Amino acid sequence: MTGNGTSQIQDQLALRSRLSDMTQLSPWIEGLASRHAIPGNVQFAVELCLEEVVSNVIRHGYAGAEDCSVVVQFAMPRDGYFEFAVEDEAPRFNPLDAPELSALDPEDETRVGGQGIRLERQFANSVEYEPTPRGNRMRMGFSAVESPAAK
Amino acid sequence: MPIATEEMTGGITRVILDGKLDIEGAAAIDLKMNVIAGSRKAVLVDLQKVSFLGSMGLRALVAPARAIKGRGGKMVLFGPNELVEKVLKTSGTDTLIPVHHELQSALDALQLP
Repeated sequence: MTGNGTSQIQDQLALRSRLSDMTQLSPWIEGLASRHAIPGNVQFAVELCLEEVVSNVIRHGYAGAEDCSVVVQFAMPRDGYFEFAVEDEAPRFNPLDAPELSALDPEDETRVGGQGIRLERQFANSVEYEPTPRGNRMRMGFSAVESPAAK
Repeated sequence: MPIATEEMTGGITRVILDGKLDIEGAAAIDLKMNVIAGSRKAVLVDLQKVSFLGSMGLRALVAPARAIKGRGGKMVLFGPNELVEKVLKTSGTDTLIPVHHELQSALDALQLP
């Protein structure tokens, strides 16, 4: 969004790398949904994906360091299409390169998590990674018309 | 997130969740779910009023479910809406914690030998 100028940022939310800061996500998304007529099922998908991406940046990208930058950006390149990007200054890491874990196995007593990328790919129309000069950017697109979360 | 419990016949505990199972919701129910997981053997988690389920919320369900199962008990999920159910299915959580949309089938599934 900022890198290639194809989508003008219309709003952004600046967080610090604390899990408690994530409580700001939901009201911010609700405000965007109200102002830009984001349908309920898309709002659900956005919140699901952003919760996953932001929590991974905080817990894994910054490995617990609490005063680092996490910026969530919103753009609407065309009617009915919503783009969200999460930009950080953590060590370079492309989560899309990591092998996607299989769905939870009822016999696997140890694993609870690891479903993030799977969820993002199932609920967003597009999921892309790009490195930035200072860290990473994960960009996700959500279509109101062709939402994977459509009822 | 409000969490309420109701004791039903047959030793079944109904846990009623209301609202969003996001990071805040997961934190709000974590302690009580752990207490329930350590003391109950037949648990029905009523999701009818849950409007959102994220990965933090999934953890808040999976961990107690495994604990209950480890003690020889059972846990089921009841009445998720379509999007919540899609999260459960996409993550495979429904293979660990069965999902029911009919109350009687959920209760039947919790009958312990």
